[in-house]
Amino acid sequence: MASLVDALPRLRRRSGRRKGQGADIIQTIALVCAVLLAGGALLAPWLTPFDPLDQSLLARLRPPIGFDRYAAGHLAGTDELGRDVLSRSLHGLRLTLALAFAGAVIGLLIGGLLGLIAGQRRGWVEDGIMSLVDMQIAIPFTLVALLVLALMGSSLTVLVLVLGIAGWEQYARIVRGEVRRIAAQPYLEAAHTAGAGPFYIAWRHVLPNLVSPLVVQFTLSLSNIVILESTLSFLGLGVQPPQPSLGSMVGLGRDYMPTAPWIVLTPAALIVVLTFTVQILGDWLRDRADVRLRER
Amino acid sequence: MFRLLLTTALVALPLVAAAQEITVGAANVAPYLDPGRDHSNVGSQFYYNTFDTLIDRDHGKRELEWVPALATSWKLVEPKVMEFKLREGVKFHNGADMTADDVVFSLNRMMQATFPPYVVRAKDRLGNFLRAEKVDDLTVRVVAEREEPLWETLMSLQQVMIVPEAYIKGLTGKADVAEDSDYEAFALAPVGTGPYKVAAFQPGEKLVWERFDDFWGETAPLERATVVQIAETASRVTALKTGEADIITNVAPDQLSLIDSDPNLKTEGSATALFHVMIMNQNHPKLRDPRIRQALSLAIDRDALNEALWLGKAIVPSTHTMAEMGALHQPDLVTFAYDPERARKLLEEAGYDGFEITFDTAATYYTNGLLAAQAIMEMWNAVGINGRVNVQDQWSGNDPEMMVRNWSNPMYFADPFGSFGVMWAPGGPSESEGRFNTDADYAKKWDRFRFSTDVADRNAAYVELMEEIKQDPPLLPLYRPFESWGMKQSVNWAPMPGHIPYVLDFRAGSISFAGN
Repeated sequence: MASLVDALPRLRRRSGRRKGQGADIIQTIALVCAVLLAGGALLAPWLTPFDPLDQSLLARLRPPIGFDRYAAGHLAGTDELGRDVLSRSLHGLRLTLALAFAGAVIGLLIGGLLGLIAGQRRGWVEDGIMSLVDMQIAIPFTLVALLVLALMGSSLTVLVLVLGIAGWEQYARIVRGEVRRIAAQPYLEAAHTAGAGPFYIAWRHVLPNLVSPLVVQFTLSLSNIVILESTLSFLGLGVQPPQPSLGSMVGLGRDYMPTAPWIVLTPAALIVVLTFTVQILGDWLRDRADVRLRER
Repeated sequence: MFRLLLTTALVALPLVAAAQEITVGAANVAPYLDPGRDHSNVGSQFYYNTFDTLIDRDHGKRELEWVPALATSWKLVEPKVMEFKLREGVKFHNGADMTADDVVFSLNRMMQATFPPYVVRAKDRLGNFLRAEKVDDLTVRVVAEREEPLWETLMSLQQVMIVPEAYIKGLTGKADVAEDSDYEAFALAPVGTGPYKVAAFQPGEKLVWERFDDFWGETAPLERATVVQIAETASRVTALKTGEADIITNVAPDQLSLIDSDPNLKTEGSATALFHVMIMNQNHPKLRDPRIRQALSLAIDRDALNEALWLGKAIVPSTHTMAEMGALHQPDLVTFAYDPERARKLLEEAGYDGFEITFDTAATYYTNGLLAAQAIMEMWNAVGINGRVNVQDQWSGNDPEMMVRNWSNPMYFADPFGSFGVMWAPGGPSESEGRFNTDADYAKKWDRFRFSTDVADRNAAYVELMEEIKQDPPLLPLYRPFESWGMKQSVNWAPMPGHIPYVLDFRAGSISFAGN
């Protein structure tokens, strides 16, 4: 991420498409949301007034502040076991984000490595890897994830692995494409002729070209993984109770939708804002950082 | 004017029809329908409308009062032999007459069972019966191995409902032999003598009852009743609100206000004759010390669970007993209590080192099951027990790795033998699954409790059994859950106190409609 932050000011200011203030306002909002969400998630243990697992059975299903029967201190109400919805949502956000990051990193490592191999080795290795990519695209991954979790049982380790495998093929395609494109560049041939070894070339010439498309892909896949994690937890196969994640809170709270909608509303709103933010930021980064778009 | 008439007629038509037909949205529809092999909470909903027993009881009363059904009279002719006079002119739904042969066949398929699912059910409740014999066309005798204190009770069980011999034998294979495949086929196309015949049955999805016009008793009040499985609570409530269903089953206490607040709807409920229990594996290496299991039990404040999760409407028992058991109800006996101080002390004495204790539960099977499990973890935590809820839908009661889980002990019939006795007998379901041990001493006490003809002696033996359970606990009965049904205001239906849990009784006198 550090290299991205350094790189941003140097990127040419975009001109042409989607010009105007509208887009900028949305991006500003997204940035503010991103800061708030990241802050909320990171500081959850210090921000929240209650332990997310602490029950108070006699104060179950109390509504948020401003409604009748509001239980003092529980700003967003309490859930079916009298736990504080706000505290659980923030801790859920924290866990969801942590899982999504871990999953995205695993996807990046697996996909990046396989893409690199495919781009360099060509031949049957490349064919094999790319047919794996095609298979992954063809199979609805939610089904695969459900199957794996049902068979292996749900633990955080399995869940992270499943989330990691969810998006690797995108990285593999990007890396392979970039590697092949760069390999055809004259400066690589020059470096080669000058006697540079393969590792030096990979490090000095290939990797810097890969950073920006990978960062963009990382951001975009993050929101997909957030949705996948929420889906799995909603279906009861992801994060197990009493541990809160945004999806499991929505899943367990859905029976209470008509009588205590606040149990679902807070985490559901967080999921929406989170994916929206990440998606907007991802688009924005792509517009600015993607070499191919920039050249157009 | 004609149009007005037409419109009026069209509007009135469904109203007339609705009085005769209802739709039930059920949390579960059974995967098969054979009263002999089934004792599930799902199946018990369906049998009473379709089948009859020899002896029935007045289900409007909690006190036992036997009434004639397919037998018009019965008496002990020898200490171990009971003779039944059969009702004349009873017809099965397929048009065949019910004969003494059908009765003998129905009883012997259980009492001398060879089909494995029957063997299991016969063993745990009908073990004392040797055989049924035909005396003449309207007389049948049943022979017991030992003197039987519970004759009427056991002859009114769902498992000994009367089924048609020729029909079953003719379903598959040879027409004069009852093969296992005949019983399997029967479970998908059941035929009985009850007031409603099963007109359509899609396992796990849908059941359609139609009025049986040749029923021997009072004519059924409904022309047709359709039971549709709607698994999700929220969907069931919605179906009721939109009018898609007239009655819905299994309404959780948290949903009651939602239905009761609707002026067109109402709820009916009762503390069901069934315990939600917590079972503890006596043979798990880490739980062998009884003090650990005693602590697990003493740490749980069941009254708090009742107040919080059941609006105080469940019943928390002091021992494994129910008011339905009449003279054998023992409300003053205290076997299970809440004492966190003692729990802490026992844990310390047992040298508990903080190892994790898992509590298995399915996500939705028992009403409030997952909520109770999570609340119990908090109560354990308060005395220093490191508990974790393990959500899985598979039954783990026969898994040696199982530590603690939830289960239910229904009252299969109104006697302690029909609840505790079935589940915790020597060699019964709990022991054969490897999580409960009995010795010769326990078996002796159990035998006295089961077979003594003196009620006081049975009660005394039960007290001794409960003391064993207290000293080396394999279970804790949590409460009798308050189960509710939601329905339209126009429907008059409620669970009756004389039934086993969950029976959807639509016989004459059990259901009616306001304004008709």
